Amino acid sequence: MIIWSIAKTTVGDALRKKVLQIFLVVAIGLIIISLSFSQTLSFSSRAGSSTDIMLVKSFGLGLMAVAAWLISLVMGVSLIPQEIERRTIYTILAKPVKRYEFIVGKYLGAVLTLAINVAIMGIVFIAVCVFKAMGAEQPPTPEESGLAIVGMQQVGLFDWNMVWGVIMIFLQFTVLTSVILFFSVFLTPTVNFFMGLGIYIVGVMAPLTETLSSKESQLHPVLKAFYRVIHTIVPNFDKFNVTNTLLHPETHIESMARYTGIVTLYALFYSLLMMLLAIIVFRKKEV
Amino acid sequence: MAEAIAVKNLTKVYGGTLKDRVPAVDNISFTVSEGEIFGFIGPNGAGKTTTIKILLGLLFPTSGEAQVLGMPAGDIETKRRISYLPESPYFYEHMTGAEVIDFYCRLFRMGAAERKKKTEELLERVGLAEDGHRTLRQYSKGMLQRIGIAQALINDPDLLFLDEPTSGLDPIAHKDITELIASLGKQGKTVFLSSHQLGDVETVCDRVAIIHRGKIVKIGTLEDLLRAGRTVITFAKAGSDLVEEVKPHAERVSADGELVRVYVESEEDVHSVLDAARGKATLVSVLPQRQTLEDLFVEIVREVRK
Repeated sequence: MIIWSIAKTTVGDALRKKVLQIFLVVAIGLIIISLSFSQTLSFSSRAGSSTDIMLVKSFGLGLMAVAAWLISLVMGVSLIPQEIERRTIYTILAKPVKRYEFIVGKYLGAVLTLAINVAIMGIVFIAVCVFKAMGAEQPPTPEESGLAIVGMQQVGLFDWNMVWGVIMIFLQFTVLTSVILFFSVFLTPTVNFFMGLGIYIVGVMAPLTETLSSKESQLHPVLKAFYRVIHTIVPNFDKFNVTNTLLHPETHIESMARYTGIVTLYALFYSLLMMLLAIIVFRKKEV
Repeated sequence: MAEAIAVKNLTKVYGGTLKDRVPAVDNISFTVSEGEIFGFIGPNGAGKTTTIKILLGLLFPTSGEAQVLGMPAGDIETKRRISYLPESPYFYEHMTGAEVIDFYCRLFRMGAAERKKKTEELLERVGLAEDGHRTLRQYSKGMLQRIGIAQALINDPDLLFLDEPTSGLDPIAHKDITELIASLGKQGKTVFLSSHQLGDVETVCDRVAIIHRGKIVKIGTLEDLLRAGRTVITFAKAGSDLVEEVKPHAERVSADGELVRVYVESEEDVHSVLDAARGKATLVSVLPQRQTLEDLFVEIVREVRK
């Protein structure tokens, strides 16, 4: 009950933050504008094809990821410092509230805020994809034309892969939020912002750090060890980046449900680990 | 009487470079009995809020002990029986007054019916029954302070920590809150009151501690601390030798035209001065002056600063 109350208050507070509202509105606006994208970027809303739709999907997923990233970063850095600065934490922790309940409540609130924002963007994005597909000219089937045209696919109205895409974006940023929450226990918002930014960039480049730390790498052993440590402790955000896989059937994942399950477990594990570390540090934190 | 608060050799040194390390609280010891209204006064930066935060478990002492209601400071079960009103409290602005009280009720794991009843009762008690539906963004400073008091009364606490509860309030709100504190005392609650409003402290407190630069420089009942009041004896038509005659018995002598004022500390000196002046001047008045807490506070702080 206490955790849920703190979470609800965090959501109410975060949803009223002007800066987060701006990110959301701009993202939705751009997703809607992407309706007019065509293969030639001639901004004709009518003459669509499967390639046009792919462009809209690719743009939409990328844009949602950027918006969710900004929301997670801006919201996360102030989660704990703002409570101290505004002194709301004093009246809360002076009540019979355990410190872990406060941390879990704040994280849950941040994740719910992220979920609401991603869900709103996701619904608009999927609606735009459906609308675009409705207006698309269907390419002739190989049977009809006698030819298989590379890059041209039959256009379905509803693409379940886009729902997976939205879920992946949400999962990715729940992990980033947990990392930022951990740092917000002892870092100032500005330092935490750059820390979160750096960790995200390194996490997205996980395939590179993996290559650099591999046996085949030509790097000095010390550097290799350094990259091995980085690759191990920084969350692998590349795992959640499935846009290409979702858009290109030739690189299709065998079982999307299985892959989502594995990635969900990874996100859950990493978030719980970060929360545990945050709780340990916060137990001795002076407020 | 049992002790509500027991502090023994408490020291708090904030981190920083070695040069900056000045203790915010420096080896202080005191107790507060149950049912007492205890005033904790001192200039800005004296260590008042640090002491309160240690007692609430928000800060951890560098050394020494702090017990609240018989348990170590910060004990989670003890927090069910205490409450805190910070200086200039801030609450979530998007919530209404009623929602804020409901939120704090939830932190005590109260059920829906109990929360509703409590919220109505507390808003009524602090004079916000008509404004409970308005968001805090629309509240004045005085109204926010009343919400702060309401959240501090949710659990019907045995011990209340009030940090500057009347700062920045208009006279009506000020009077209401002072009366509320006095009524809490009458109900047998223990109140730990930190305030710059020395008049309030003098009105409502049973005992007072004066803290300066982290050290307690005076502690006692108001009766004990303020007992040593002085007496002002005024003479007229005094001869030129009167001043010299009374000086050994007086704290200070001032001449103002025809009038001579003699300030004396003890009853014995009053008699000595009157004897010395007999036949040499006309006695105008003998006025005992009760020292105020403000006089005492200023005097002590100035003395320590010297």
